Amino acid sequence: MTTTTRRRRPSRRAALYATLIIGAAMSVFPYWLIVSTALKPRGELFEAAPWAPPAAPTLENLGALLGSDFAQSILNTFIFVTVLTVGQLIFTTLAAYAFARLDFRGRNALFWLYLATLMVPNVVTLIPLFLIMRELDLVNSWYGLVAPYVFGTPYGIFLMRQFFRSIPREIEEAARVDGAGHLTILWRIILPLSRPILATLAIVTVISSWNNFLWPLIITSSADTRVITVAIAALRSEIGIDYTRMMAGSLLTLLPMLLVFVFFQRYIVRSVALTGLK
Amino acid sequence: MAQVLTVPTSPPPVSTRPVPPRGRRRRAWETLTAYAFVAPSLFGVVTFLLLPVLIVAGLSLFDWKLLAAPEFVGLANYERLFADGGIGHSLLVTVAYVVLTIPVQTVLALLLALLLNQRVRGVKIFRAMFVLPWMATPVVMGLVWGWIFDPANGAVNSFLDVFGIDGPSWLSSPSLALPAVAATQVWQFAGYNMLFFLAGLQSIPKDFYEAASLDGASPVRQFFAITLPLLRPTLFFVLVTNVIGSFQVFDTVFVMTNGGPGNSTEVINYTIYQTAFRQFEFGYASAIAMVLFLIILAVTMAQVRYFNRTTTYDLT
Repeated sequence: MTTTTRRRRPSRRAALYATLIIGAAMSVFPYWLIVSTALKPRGELFEAAPWAPPAAPTLENLGALLGSDFAQSILNTFIFVTVLTVGQLIFTTLAAYAFARLDFRGRNALFWLYLATLMVPNVVTLIPLFLIMRELDLVNSWYGLVAPYVFGTPYGIFLMRQFFRSIPREIEEAARVDGAGHLTILWRIILPLSRPILATLAIVTVISSWNNFLWPLIITSSADTRVITVAIAALRSEIGIDYTRMMAGSLLTLLPMLLVFVFFQRYIVRSVALTGLK
Repeated sequence: MAQVLTVPTSPPPVSTRPVPPRGRRRRAWETLTAYAFVAPSLFGVVTFLLLPVLIVAGLSLFDWKLLAAPEFVGLANYERLFADGGIGHSLLVTVAYVVLTIPVQTVLALLLALLLNQRVRGVKIFRAMFVLPWMATPVVMGLVWGWIFDPANGAVNSFLDVFGIDGPSWLSSPSLALPAVAATQVWQFAGYNMLFFLAGLQSIPKDFYEAASLDGASPVRQFFAITLPLLRPTLFFVLVTNVIGSFQVFDTVFVMTNGGPGNSTEVINYTIYQTAFRQFEFGYASAIAMVLFLIILAVTMAQVRYFNRTTTYDLT
């Protein structure tokens, strides 16, 4: 199809751009709605079309939320995301290195076991996970909240292993001859070469933990462990239908991820193509 | 990195490279190191993935209301489930949701990719904007789209109002609520899936099209004879992952409709949540989860078989 570009008439180019611009506008529209509504005083909401910019912008909605329990849940989410991402990077790297580089009894069997767990949908493990945490008395605790994810995911291990295997072994030979241990090789040689994939894994983990809803919803029940997704879902039942306030909460929830997107856009687009993780 | 897109159609072969001869002590040490490295993740996988699968399978044979002691009931939960009209209804709603989302978002993603695969100014900006919805927290998008579909001053009806059309109350209509929830997902994932198709399209050699053009094949003909067959691995990957995802939709339903009006948007995942964590029927909820697990497995296997049967081209 690309070869016909030269012969294309201007009207077709115009239609192409029009379609792309409409698509882009539709992609961005809900974000616009969040920002403009979050900045509207409550009384202004029904005065104009919902997409109209705020006539008298105010930080009142954002301020009210930041002065409530909501601020705590933002902090909680930051902790949640940090712990999971650090755990994922450390434990996934170690396991992936073992699967990629070490010869040990039971390696293949173990690796197939990991692959098989990729097939298990979240909802299947949800009930038993809750019951395990209940048995361990970890319901509504930080340990219960992070435990299922902090040891790294089979998915991340699979991803990292594939990358490690693409690194030529010759690079490590010199170090090995010098008697370097596996931790040294991993830290000094493999990891510096793996920055792109580490960035990918980190971004994907940050996004998926930030957006995680169902598990925190089930396992936490008090303000000191409540994450932002649970807090914002509760907002509607707590304050009633108040869209300016709800959009302010939405803005606070999305803003950190939008910043991540702006700064790491290149990585994210590549990460998506590389991993296919939701 | 040489290849941008790796479409895992099947698990890669586990290495069978012969082990270089080494001292026995060194080997033992290596095995020890390996297990030390794998230990944390193995603990996680066993405790939080494998054990739960076994528990849920076992639990589905018990009647357990959490407060009383569990009572073994055999297959009674499954018998009850097949007689339960509510479960049948939830499964139908889930299938309807999959049917409403997957074709639209896949075709839309492919169209966007075809558009962006031409010589377009600002490709990167368009691509970034199309991917932007994917970043959004689903719970938040449920709230925002809930407002977009609000009959009182919501964006959709305000837009229709410009043309003098009186819009319906989307989310309180039993027939329109599910399509509205589905629209939210299509919005969120069309651009994301576009990335895969774009990577797939860019891996197709240009000379294929040149040869076809010389033979006088029309662009439409070229699409069906070259593009679509060569995109098959990408299509497979996109379909399998998205179908699995759609079967498990929860966040947006929870926020937008709570399964209502009535039970018209009560997808199976929502039913499982309600049964377990609102009615505390853990045994019965486990049986429903098992059924969903088997359905997802069966659908995935069917897709694998379909795509394996038809020829695939490996371009890597």
